Amino acid sequence: MNLDQAIQAFFDEAFELLQQMEDILLDAESTQSDPELLNALFRTIHTIKGSAGLFALDGIVGFTHQVENALDRLRSGELTLNENLTSLLLRCHDHVKAMLQALVNQSDGPDEASQAALLAELAALTATAGGTPASEPEPATATADTAATMDWLLYLGFGPDVLRHGLDPASFLSYLATLGEVSHVIPLLPGLQAGTAYDPEQNYLQLALRFRGETTLATLHDVFEFAREDSHILIAPLAGAAATLARNEAGLGDTELAQVHAHWLTLGMQTPDEAVAASPDEPEQAADSGAQSAAPLAASVAAPPAGSSNPKKAKTAEKAGEGRFIRVEAEKLDALINLIGELVIAGAAGNLLARQHGAMALQEWSQGISTLIEQIRTGTLSMRMVQIGEIFNRFPRVVRDVTKELGKDVQLDIVGADTELDKSMIDKLGDPLMHLIRNAIDHGIETVAVRTERGKPARGTVRLNAYHESGSILIEVSDDGGGLHRDRILAKAIDRGLITADAALTEQEIFALIFEPGFSTAAQVTSISGRGVGMDVVRRSIEQLRGTIQIDSTPDVGTVFRIRLPLTLAIIDGFLVEIGKATYVIPLEAVIECIELPEALRDASHADHLNLRGELLPLLRLASFLEVPAAENARQNVVVVRTGDRKVGLVVDGLLGEFQTVIKPLGSMFSHIKVIGGSTILGNGQIALILDVNELVQHVTLRDSARFSLTHDFAMLGISSQPTK
Amino acid sequence: MDASIKQSTSRPVVPREPDRQFLTFRLAGELFGLDIANILEILEYQHLTEVPLMPAFIRGVMNLRGAVVPVVDLSARLGRGALPLGKRSSIVIVEAGTGDEEGGQPVGMLVDQVDAVLALPASAIEPAPQFGQRLRTDFIAGMAQIDGLFIVLLDIGHVLSIEEMTLLATLDYSPHESCNDKPDPGRPARDA
Repeated sequence: MNLDQAIQAFFDEAFELLQQMEDILLDAESTQSDPELLNALFRTIHTIKGSAGLFALDGIVGFTHQVENALDRLRSGELTLNENLTSLLLRCHDHVKAMLQALVNQSDGPDEASQAALLAELAALTATAGGTPASEPEPATATADTAATMDWLLYLGFGPDVLRHGLDPASFLSYLATLGEVSHVIPLLPGLQAGTAYDPEQNYLQLALRFRGETTLATLHDVFEFAREDSHILIAPLAGAAATLARNEAGLGDTELAQVHAHWLTLGMQTPDEAVAASPDEPEQAADSGAQSAAPLAASVAAPPAGSSNPKKAKTAEKAGEGRFIRVEAEKLDALINLIGELVIAGAAGNLLARQHGAMALQEWSQGISTLIEQIRTGTLSMRMVQIGEIFNRFPRVVRDVTKELGKDVQLDIVGADTELDKSMIDKLGDPLMHLIRNAIDHGIETVAVRTERGKPARGTVRLNAYHESGSILIEVSDDGGGLHRDRILAKAIDRGLITADAALTEQEIFALIFEPGFSTAAQVTSISGRGVGMDVVRRSIEQLRGTIQIDSTPDVGTVFRIRLPLTLAIIDGFLVEIGKATYVIPLEAVIECIELPEALRDASHADHLNLRGELLPLLRLASFLEVPAAENARQNVVVVRTGDRKVGLVVDGLLGEFQTVIKPLGSMFSHIKVIGGSTILGNGQIALILDVNELVQHVTLRDSARFSLTHDFAMLGISSQPTK
Repeated sequence: MDASIKQSTSRPVVPREPDRQFLTFRLAGELFGLDIANILEILEYQHLTEVPLMPAFIRGVMNLRGAVVPVVDLSARLGRGALPLGKRSSIVIVEAGTGDEEGGQPVGMLVDQVDAVLALPASAIEPAPQFGQRLRTDFIAGMAQIDGLFIVLLDIGHVLSIEEMTLLATLDYSPHESCNDKPDPGRPARDA
């Protein structure tokens, strides 16, 4: 195996684990120490340490070992997770990340001093807790988690209904036999007494047995997974059996308990006294049964303590996760998508040939191929789709840090993290979203004092929400803060000369002013809001993704930034139209309906509008607008499109139907023609241009307002000096 | 490859110093040369998709195996008027300079007819004269003597500078342009 590839895999895995670690730490702050989480936390660092050891990355191994010690004591209950510890662990997380990053970039690692400081803090923890965990790795769970050959006592209290549920006690036994050796079985039939009615469908059998094998408690519990619901299953290592029974976690009745006790004694159970006496020989087991330490050795099936049985399960879940995803280089995928684009075109050509040839069998065959190609294309394009959670996940940390820095109390709600979006867009969304979130906390959410005064909960909420809506994806960043100050924005805009004092603007237009370059209403620039990315950059990056951003705000209630993005950059559903001799594509999501152009309106000399069922529909004649000669004798049609909340009719020379198109960029030479958003290759290999409806309408509005204006009239009359506005 | 390319087999090439090879082609009868190092491939004329609102020297875009490539009417670009299409019209795909270090991007060049590939020793190439070529001097890489005639060797980095063509296209077009209600004199009426 190529070592480079292997180490790359290690980096990928390590960064993923670090992300997990961060998530857990942030989570743990709110949920408090759930033993399952603490175990998962331990595993992240433990795995990184182990893998780093394989590559002889001693620096990382050394540091992570210390972190691991702290985490180990955390999960054993010697330490509790408080805010200080979380902060320390987060900083350790950052440090490991920086070390890894340095390895990836082959640059210098983080400085020694910070590492020394972190190690000192970790050591201080150890000192206060007064233990020496390094010398005693994983003491609590050793017997339960590690597979060593030992004796177990089991009590299988099958419920009366197991047979009715299709379970056969015998099959459990035979499966158990594959894990080791069942040395003694004592059948118990407490429910079956002479004289009572015998129900053949009812189970009367219960078993006490002794088992010897190299296995773990969790594995044994897994054996009886199915019977768990209506049975009492007790499993304990021989040495810890008495303690298990004493705890009676399965909630057995007294008689049943006594019975199990008696039978386990028969099978060789030691009484607690004996167990202590035996401890010099079996220190590990004695430690557990005697001291009853954090991870209990034995567990009833009804309430399995997470500490001992879950690591195993979590591991299997991880395994399953590995199988579900394959890492693929983005370039390979792009190359594949390009090739499939070619295949689509070649397939369409074949289809055409087959139709010309006329042979039925050939046509059917080519139809079949076309269907397959279409499926391949859809499938491949869907591979580019990733869950938006990938970027949402980094924000809890941002919110935590910013909140701490500003001394506010803010929680982050994430909704719709599983919404899927094109991978290339995900990468470009991170910065704008980060900026909006920082802004929401910095400018949106009020201080605790102000919030209390206004009667709001002291803790502010920033909410990230993503969902699909009619062919677009919507991402909302909302806060329950003070809202935007309309008047302050207006005053500022007038002050900056962005608008004139008498401009009549809608609320939306006023809010949109904050996206203008050099606009900031914050009285003072904090370290949060002055990070170099302005709102104008946010808008520009959203527009680069062919998206729009819109603001809704209510004073004292909050603000919503709504980002609307196309689902993917690579593909759109298009509507093909003919203008002159060329084919153009109108994005289907903008198209509302198509109607024939009435005879009376054929002549373009009149005012260009149409009565659409009582609604006034302005018409835009595309052929004359694009300066291409209109096709002669064409039955002109009107494509009614939506832009913003208005409707516009586009006059075209022919309608050619829907077409799913792969968007190809046109190149810088054409970038100034905003009305053309890109190009696509049609089935016959020719290129069709994609019209950008929003730009088109904006452009015409601009043109008409220039053409029919006072200044224009002046110009027509030959008056050169124009009055300034 | 286009059938009209003929390798010049007539002259024996003795590599004293490495000769440079040039493709010669015609624009309305006039012969031009171009260093083949710039050339990616030569194609027969194929359907172009016109892009509206662009200056006349941009004939349109073509599909080059899935990539959308702009095609420049070389004659119009050199200020000699739009090139009528003929039977032997060809598109020479060249690597055009983008101005930055990123490497070129393919651009098609519409020519009347491709002629031959010639190997020329450095001694046969002279610097451009100061005037008389009806061409911007920065378009001329040099003059080569072939069979007693001097032909212009084009400096493709300047002729097809993406930067400059983008600038020209942007200047040629403005949102308010059509408010004058008169045709743009710089743009000849397109025949369909």
